[in-house]
Amino acid sequence: MAQPVLRIVDFKVSFNTVDGVVRAVDGVSYEVYPGETVGVVGESGSGKSVTVLGVMGLLPKPAGKIDGGEVWLEGQNILEASDKDMQDIRGKQMAMVFQDPMTSLNPVFTVGDQIAEALQTHNKKMSNGAAKERTIELLTAVGVAQPETRFDQYPHEFSGGMRQRAMVAMAIANDPPLIIADEPTTALDVTIQAQVVEVLKEIQNRTNSGLVLITHDLGLIAELADRVVVMYGGKVVETGTVDEIFHEPRHPYTLGLIMSLPKLNEQMKRLLPIPGQPPSLINLPSGCAFHPRCAMSAGREMCRTEVPSLYSVDGGGHASACWYYTEVAHELEVEAEQVGLEFSEGQLGDE
Amino acid sequence: MTNRNSVETEPDAPTEEGILEVKDLKVHFPIMAGLRRHQVATVHAVDGITFELRSGETLGLVGESGCGKSTTARAVLRLNEITDGTVAYKGVDITRAKRKQMQPIRKEMQVVFQDPYASLNPRMTVSDIISEPLKVHNVGTKQSRQDAVAKLLETVQLSPEHGNRYPHEFSGGQRQRIGVARALALEPEVMILDEPVSALDVSIQAQVINLLQEIQDEFGMSYLFIAHDLSVVRHISDRVAVMYLGKIVEIATRAQLFERPAHPYTQALLSAVPIAEPRGRDQRKRIVLEGDVPTPVNPPSGCRFRTRCWKAQDVCAGDEPELIDRGQGHPVACYFPEVESAADVPITNPDLAPPG
Repeated sequence: MAQPVLRIVDFKVSFNTVDGVVRAVDGVSYEVYPGETVGVVGESGSGKSVTVLGVMGLLPKPAGKIDGGEVWLEGQNILEASDKDMQDIRGKQMAMVFQDPMTSLNPVFTVGDQIAEALQTHNKKMSNGAAKERTIELLTAVGVAQPETRFDQYPHEFSGGMRQRAMVAMAIANDPPLIIADEPTTALDVTIQAQVVEVLKEIQNRTNSGLVLITHDLGLIAELADRVVVMYGGKVVETGTVDEIFHEPRHPYTLGLIMSLPKLNEQMKRLLPIPGQPPSLINLPSGCAFHPRCAMSAGREMCRTEVPSLYSVDGGGHASACWYYTEVAHELEVEAEQVGLEFSEGQLGDE
Repeated sequence: MTNRNSVETEPDAPTEEGILEVKDLKVHFPIMAGLRRHQVATVHAVDGITFELRSGETLGLVGESGCGKSTTARAVLRLNEITDGTVAYKGVDITRAKRKQMQPIRKEMQVVFQDPYASLNPRMTVSDIISEPLKVHNVGTKQSRQDAVAKLLETVQLSPEHGNRYPHEFSGGQRQRIGVARALALEPEVMILDEPVSALDVSIQAQVINLLQEIQDEFGMSYLFIAHDLSVVRHISDRVAVMYLGKIVEIATRAQLFERPAHPYTQALLSAVPIAEPRGRDQRKRIVLEGDVPTPVNPPSGCRFRTRCWKAQDVCAGDEPELIDRGQGHPVACYFPEVESAADVPITNPDLAPPG
């Protein structure tokens, strides 16, 4: 495979709060290859968004601080880049689509001007006419009807789905090799979400850019991702291909997420929720952060005292941070039986 | 636990009496403008819907934002002015009931709201919050109310010492449990659940869904469950009504609705939901609707879905299609529904096979 567009290594971010230091991201590593979609899942407070804000250099200052690690974007460690260099990198080499299309556009400029600005910031020589022409092309590409009229309209004249399309147009304006989408469809209704998902898929096919898709929606992950990164308590607890994550999970948290999710395509007898609450990042449990909610940790000293690190479970890319990952397969069978789901492990061939 | 959670159980027989009957309900909101605040337009939030909630069942009400599902809930509780139509509780018309007449009925109909942060008074302890409905309705003595609170906390799986704390000390899931305990305090017969789990994380959402099901099994009340998440609705509902732009377009048992959706909008809605199964994702056919939902200020003539419908013909712009049962106990408001062809479709789900 080619070189990754993005390689995050042992990345750490903390926030100073009145209650103490919050280690929001604690040693996260993952990479994204060209043309690949990496889905990042986790509950609120798992550090999935903070990781990419750190990558983009957009952490709130002065509270947020990068404590260590490396972020390689196309062979350059951008943590060492100056603020000025970062301005060039953002938008040109990587771009971000945010969750809330209502607040991420400036209400006092026309949508067209805002996209044209993104173009001209990175290409000072581009004339206004050329920028307008390119913007209309971009709006067409993301499926905005009547782009010439839309160019001169203000954000309030756009519906939620249209605004999110405009945000995607802005993100792809300079053909960045990396696009980061943070809950891009969470604020949208499901029929509108389907439209935006189609646009994202098509754009990625055309530009072969790497896509980081951050979401809490396992359905969206199953639909779009090639590989998945599961985060919990500021750490990556499991990573693997989308099929491995959904059919051969090797971390009890991943398993818990799957079993607590009502399915649209199957009728489950019951749901098996993960007991307890997500941990407070100020006061993380000792050892494995998931152990107080984990059925497998009962009576096991190791889970309480030693922090497990992410190890490959198959000698390849499928890795889990669980001391007892070999037992998850059995746990999966037991729980699938309880909720009334049929699970087939292994390759696609056995369907 | 009874076996109501077993796979695709059919709901109670249709002859069962509706505990709550809504007929031709309309809720319109005026849009005022100008110095004299005169009415310039009308929002047709709910525009003539009919359904019944049967005793002991869970009726799911789904639709996208702005379709009128929450307005329906509020109107049923008489928290909104009802423009037209009737709402009857146990056969008694409460559409124009006075405050005094409503009071005993409010005791029997309780509500759980979506936002567990905004729906609990931050200055009251959890005990006070849960016992407030009892106080308002003059139920019991101070001591008996305290006992009731302890019992309710246990029912929603919180511990008794939680009673002395304030809402800010709890997480979203725990707050929603407090909201449920408050609704349960008066032992209602109908619970209106307005997006009770949509603000919660997946693992916590499952805890609250299970709790709601256990409570229903224990106390046997009816749920009107409003949600936009179709997977959740499928899991919890006996029957489901789909709303679009102030109208119900389809009502069916969950087996019918999810296995054989008849209205084009329901079909599009179901196909738009991403499924948590990566295998075969490229083969899935998806109906991607064009455009956005029209404004309820000036809804399209005839069928309201026709502007986005791939089946629309001239007839759809004329008279509004009525919500008609074509003999399958599965009313659909469409000129070209897909119920007739259902008999030809091989039955893949054994639970759908006709009984006997």
